[in-house]
Amino acid sequence: MAPVEIRGLSKRFGNVLAVNDLSFDIDAGRVTGFLGPNGAGKSTSLRALLGLVRPTSGTATFGGRRYEELQRPSTKVGAVLEDASFHPGRTGRNHLRVLAVTGRHPPERVDVVLDTVGLTAAADRRVKGYSMGMRQRLAIASALLGDPEVLILDEPTNGLDPPGIAWMRGMLREQASRGRAVLVSSHLLAEVAQSVDDVVVISGGQMRGHGTLEQVLGGDEGPATQVRSQDDQRLARALQAAGHDVTALAAGGGLIVPGVSPQDVGVIAHDAGIYLVALGQQSRSLEQAFFALTGGESIA
Amino acid sequence: MSALLQAELLKLRTTRTFVALVAAALALSLLVVVLVSILADEFNDNDVRNLFTADFTGLFIVLLGVIGMAGEWRHRTITSTVLAAPDRIRLLAAKMLSYAAAGALLSLIVTLTIMLVGTVILSLRDKETADLADLVDVLWRNLLVAALVGALGVGIGAVVRNQVAAIIGVLFAAFVLEPTLLGLAPDYGRFGPTQGAPSGIIQVAGFDGEDTENLLAPGVAVLVMLGWIGAFFAAAAARLRGGDLV
Repeated sequence: MAPVEIRGLSKRFGNVLAVNDLSFDIDAGRVTGFLGPNGAGKSTSLRALLGLVRPTSGTATFGGRRYEELQRPSTKVGAVLEDASFHPGRTGRNHLRVLAVTGRHPPERVDVVLDTVGLTAAADRRVKGYSMGMRQRLAIASALLGDPEVLILDEPTNGLDPPGIAWMRGMLREQASRGRAVLVSSHLLAEVAQSVDDVVVISGGQMRGHGTLEQVLGGDEGPATQVRSQDDQRLARALQAAGHDVTALAAGGGLIVPGVSPQDVGVIAHDAGIYLVALGQQSRSLEQAFFALTGGESIA
Repeated sequence: MSALLQAELLKLRTTRTFVALVAAALALSLLVVVLVSILADEFNDNDVRNLFTADFTGLFIVLLGVIGMAGEWRHRTITSTVLAAPDRIRLLAAKMLSYAAAGALLSLIVTLTIMLVGTVILSLRDKETADLADLVDVLWRNLLVAALVGALGVGIGAVVRNQVAAIIGVLFAAFVLEPTLLGLAPDYGRFGPTQGAPSGIIQVAGFDGEDTENLLAPGVAVLVMLGWIGAFFAAAAARLRGGDLV
């Protein structure tokens, strides 16, 4: 059972079907990017997952249980929502102390997560004096307080400066490397491309694409391989004999072999006794993949 | 539930609102007690007793409850609060209980202070002072009222949600609606949640010339207050349970 399972999730607000029959899993030890244009239903989906919005139909569960059914939910799921807000008159440390008491976490965790997000020096300042980036770090500290198995982050890089974004990227990877399942929505495609293992693309409330980053970047046939050799015509024949489609690029550009890994192309070339000059994977950029999947809608 | 209660009490302690309201309630109550103790000439047992119910904690506590609950929407902290405690009904109950406790604490501070100051001034003027039994009687009634209106304030804040509207509504009820009803139609006014029923618990109608015959009996007044709290709890629970937090 995946740590997060979404099955047939739909949410209607009046006449608007915000989320329509969404189904996907989030796996442990992986970072999953959740992409979609404005109004695609990303935030509604995340809020339904967290029990803040009641689904019209379908389920969203953590280890088979709805968020509301979790015992001490902050030990299972940490969440940062896009509009994370704090009482302006409370200090960052006291905000975390309140959450620690609610979740029955040891008080020492407050100092640990403050250190993790780099807010120790500002911990005793009132939140109203925080920059947007500091508030975002405080929200992340709140999510990490219970050392949860699942992290859900809605636009977590909002307000972060470049070092903060780099820190966030490292934090996401580190959480995944510790076996956490991480779901992160973002409008920064380049940022997502550097951070995620899997991608879920939605538009108009519906799933448009789902798979590993390589699969999504590779389109329907998966990633393609671009190869140049001492004799491209011979290599093309060898590849076709092995059952692969081959597209020849303009003079000297080599060959494109869709749906085949560079390793397999290398083996075929070796078996045919052909020396290779260049060999590598050819992918669409995430932006190209996104536009292809969403029909060219601008991204949120 | 105990973790939720502790968390709500910690929330109260970690903003300036609670301290500011305690200070304001104490200052206003002391002002009234000092002025009356110094300036009034004739005092009987009942007047002294009435004097020590002159604490303003009831009003401040109901406002504290309103601010504490409606503030969750004003500052948009309701999302993180519900994420930490997804059982919204338990959350509401914990909030009501914690503000009841805070109300009783605030009233304890104010009542003991005005009793001490008032008794000292009256003793220095060789005026009648209340005996210990009377003081204890006044104290527990004040604490009970403060606890009840603390919970009531949370219920009002959870139903109305707009902090400004809720505060204006409470002030209108406390200073306009209920006094008018008590004057014109006491049979209805005495059931009011901000003035009528609390006065029944305290059994104070006013100084000289007024009596308590129009007030509810203390036990009935407590039940009426519990009824108001229950009604607001039910309305708030219905809104919370079914509502989306977007």
